[in-house]
Amino acid sequence: MARTLATTHAINEALHIALQSDPDVILLGEDIAGGGTREGEEIDEVGGVIGMTKGLCKAFPDRVFDTPISEMGILGTAVGAATTGLRPVAELMFIDFIGVCLDPLLNQAAKLRYMFGGKARVPLTVRTLTGAGMQAAAQHSQSLYWLTTGIPGLKTVIASNAKDAKGLLLAAIRDDDPVIVCEAKGILNDSCEVPEGDYEIPLGEAAIARRGGDVTLVGMGATVKTALQAAQHLAKEGIECEVVDLRSLQPLDEATVLSSLEKTGRLVVVDESTPRCGIASDIAALCVDKGFDSLNAPVKRVTAPHTPVPFAAVLERAFMPSAEKVVAAVHEMG
Amino acid sequence: MATPIAMPKLGLTMSEGKVIAWPIPLGEHVDKGQTVLIIESEKAEVEIEATAAGILRHIYVEPEEVVPCGSLLGAITAGADEPFDAEAFHADHHRPVASADQGMLAGATLGPGGAARAGAGEAGEPAARRVGRVLAAPAARALAKNLGFPLETIPGRGPGGRITKEDVEAFAERRRALRRVAEGVSLEVPQQGTGRPVVLLPGFGIDVAAFARQVPVLAQRFAVLGVNPRGVGLSDAPETEGYDVRTAAADVASLIEEPAHVIGASLGAAVALEMAFEHHDRVRSLTLVTPFVFASPTLLAVIDAWCAVGAMGSPTALAKMLLPWLFAAETLADPRARDRVERGLAEIAGRVSAPSLARWAAGLRAWSGTRADALGGVRAPTLVVAGSRDLLTPGAEALAQEIPGAKSVVVSGAGHAVALEAAEAVNEAILNHLAGA
Repeated sequence: MARTLATTHAINEALHIALQSDPDVILLGEDIAGGGTREGEEIDEVGGVIGMTKGLCKAFPDRVFDTPISEMGILGTAVGAATTGLRPVAELMFIDFIGVCLDPLLNQAAKLRYMFGGKARVPLTVRTLTGAGMQAAAQHSQSLYWLTTGIPGLKTVIASNAKDAKGLLLAAIRDDDPVIVCEAKGILNDSCEVPEGDYEIPLGEAAIARRGGDVTLVGMGATVKTALQAAQHLAKEGIECEVVDLRSLQPLDEATVLSSLEKTGRLVVVDESTPRCGIASDIAALCVDKGFDSLNAPVKRVTAPHTPVPFAAVLERAFMPSAEKVVAAVHEMG
Repeated sequence: MATPIAMPKLGLTMSEGKVIAWPIPLGEHVDKGQTVLIIESEKAEVEIEATAAGILRHIYVEPEEVVPCGSLLGAITAGADEPFDAEAFHADHHRPVASADQGMLAGATLGPGGAARAGAGEAGEPAARRVGRVLAAPAARALAKNLGFPLETIPGRGPGGRITKEDVEAFAERRRALRRVAEGVSLEVPQQGTGRPVVLLPGFGIDVAAFARQVPVLAQRFAVLGVNPRGVGLSDAPETEGYDVRTAAADVASLIEEPAHVIGASLGAAVALEMAFEHHDRVRSLTLVTPFVFASPTLLAVIDAWCAVGAMGSPTALAKMLLPWLFAAETLADPRARDRVERGLAEIAGRVSAPSLARWAAGLRAWSGTRADALGGVRAPTLVVAGSRDLLTPGAEALAQEIPGAKSVVVSGAGHAVALEAAEAVNEAILNHLAGA
């Protein structure tokens, strides 16, 4: 029997392997060591806001850094470190804080290789929590991956399970371009079979999470789980869904989406972020533009509404995509 | 656990709907996906599928009633003896919505599998003769183009009458089943049942759906072949001057290998007679429903009007024009029966194109009067069915006297469309006739 790991532990394992296999890898973020390296004191480290970096500062004391509470400082340091040849893994506790440190990402990390004609490279990784469902309210629950996806020069990935979270993170750290690794809150405590040792999941490759010939459901991060639940329900009605897990938002695996659409003729995108200018709209546009002759029904988007994320649990549930909403969208498309 | 059937909300502006019919009798079994209810909204009829299998246990709203979206209309229970409290169920599931805005919630009560399928185009016209832009999914357009089918010829069964890829595939499947009768000419010949062959020949401007009420009965004992002649249904429509009755008979003769019971109505009866004259080895018996050998001036005038109105592209207008000529006053007196036959007629008559109507009209005129002296030569056992109120072929019964040994049945109170109007009497007469032939 192969071992299973929760996503949080798989991410910790990936960081451990990355630090071990490459002396250029450094970690920096708020409370990722959490005082665990303070001289003369034997206190247990915090390991980040949900303990994902626990144990790393003890194993690699000179490469895991606590930072002041300044996202501008973290990202500024990390981009600079990356240009000098290190492979920094910066933790942006919640993607909601990206506004504070957008300039190092948007104007520096994303542009340097281009503006220096390929002579500079920025092997930066930013790990960040995304998504709602933990009652963390409007400023700690957003799914802003569409923002980094829309900036040329940045790559953005989001895993839907522990195995992919480990493999994608390792691939991101070893990539020579800045990669935003989104960690969806909805899957952090989910466990699955995770291979031992070092492996990478290539950036830009979607996965088929379930095979079916009637409708394609496209998900990313936690919404893959939502799509799989909907697929299970629809199978009882005789509707077989194919679930595509994007995994990588940029680069985007257009071929996998389009070939699934070609097979089914019907497509629903399930996206936890708000509907305007988002991934769901982007995928819908791709289908209309390059998959037009495959479309047998309108492309449907199941997203959050165009509002801030509510705090009240009942409202937060209503805000998020659900299997029921996906099933209704499939029925609606006829 | 009982499953509710509610008035769906089928469009943003729909706030209420009218119950048209419950095709499944109360207390009878219904399959999941079977049409359990027909409603009307914004001039379009919509078939509502059962979302669960079971017994149609209770009907809360009778046909002709108009109710708001979300209103509870009926209930399905898994079994006939399952405990069911109609009042309590109503209290739990009756969710009428007052305004169009709140109506979004009503649509949700359809629940899983509650896909309502509109059988008609957006303008409330039967889909086959849509005027203007054809509603079709991109995948359907691409496939139809690839297969060389004009979209206008493909019936759409998607939401709002949209043609889906499945519709094109089904159409292609039906096209593949066509039977070749002559060089470059293939006919649509739907078949049902097993046994000795029975051939059904529809009248002017309509397809074998005209025998919709005969086929289920005949198919229990016979192999029923409905023949859609040239230009009708999916059958090829060669661009000739006219479609003559003798060629039509030769087409049918080429479809059958052993002698068949040949049943024709009106112009179809002319084709049946022509078979008896020219292809008597293929005719086991002859049933002539409202036949003629001389087209009456009234018949010719109605055919003229049929062609003219048919060219205007409105199946509903055509149906309204034909209604009083084909059905007896007794049928027209009942508003519900009149509405039903009008809708059915629009559906059937709307499927034949204007050029095909013109070609058959030419063929009918050319044939009229050419066979008056030949009736004595018919050898097959013959039954003539007439309607006492038939305005178009009043000489039908007299024609029986010219055919040696022919029997005749006159259905009182029935018009030219006697097979639809008085199906039970006609079916009984046909079954008796075939049993003795």
